[in-house]
Amino acid sequence: MYLPSAVTKQAEIEAAIARVQQSIGPDVVRIRYEIGEDWSGQWAIFFRILLTDDAARRHLREVAPKVVWELARQLDFPGMGVFPYHNFRSVSEQSMLQEPAWA
Amino acid sequence: MGLADELFEDAHFLADKGTADQRRTMMRRSISTAYYAAFHLFVEDFVEHWEFPDQRARLGRMFGHGKMCTGFTPKDKKNPTSVEQELQDVVTAFSQLQKDRERADYDGGWRLVKTDVDDAIRLAEVVFSKWRKIKDEDIARHHLLSMFGARSD
Repeated sequence: MYLPSAVTKQAEIEAAIARVQQSIGPDVVRIRYEIGEDWSGQWAIFFRILLTDDAARRHLREVAPKVVWELARQLDFPGMGVFPYHNFRSVSEQSMLQEPAWA
Repeated sequence: MGLADELFEDAHFLADKGTADQRRTMMRRSISTAYYAAFHLFVEDFVEHWEFPDQRARLGRMFGHGKMCTGFTPKDKKNPTSVEQELQDVVTAFSQLQKDRERADYDGGWRLVKTDVDDAIRLAEVVFSKWRKIKDEDIARHHLLSMFGARSD
């Protein structure tokens, strides 16, 4: 069974995420991810990005592209054999939903 | 106003109404409609160059969603040109919209929130504004062909 090289590069991905969080600052509370197949059967990396309420409500247009660009700058997704997807949520929304995958 | 722009207006309306009323079905429809607005933006752009206006709608129905999310890699990944960067942003935003539309339409367990809806609208804005800026550039024209199934040279 084919597995993308991203599966073996989890430490590299974690380190890149830490750098991205540091460069963007407090708007990003945390970033979680998982590797799997997307709806079309292609390998993908799914980022779940938790933002402060202020960033999600008032600055999504600035913060979201910054996170997407920084992750792409830090990680070679085509080289890792995955396509990146990014979903955003605010702290309040996560507090309401309490989804473990975002915790 | 073309179909793509009308759909985009509808997506805005559904987003505002859905989040204000906390009506999940409208929030889902807003995400789905934002995707279809972007989809029709590409279709309209492609078929408008077909010489026979009465055949354009039929031509537009040839296009499948799966092929449209073809990737794009700049020649020099570390130093993309400004047009390459804009195209990359369009491709990334459209692919994200397509994934979110799949979830909005078929994943009944998705507990979507206002930020999901806001982000779908933002992504469609990226597709509309950046595509219209670069659509006459060579690499954009070639990418459009790839989105509709044409093989690269």
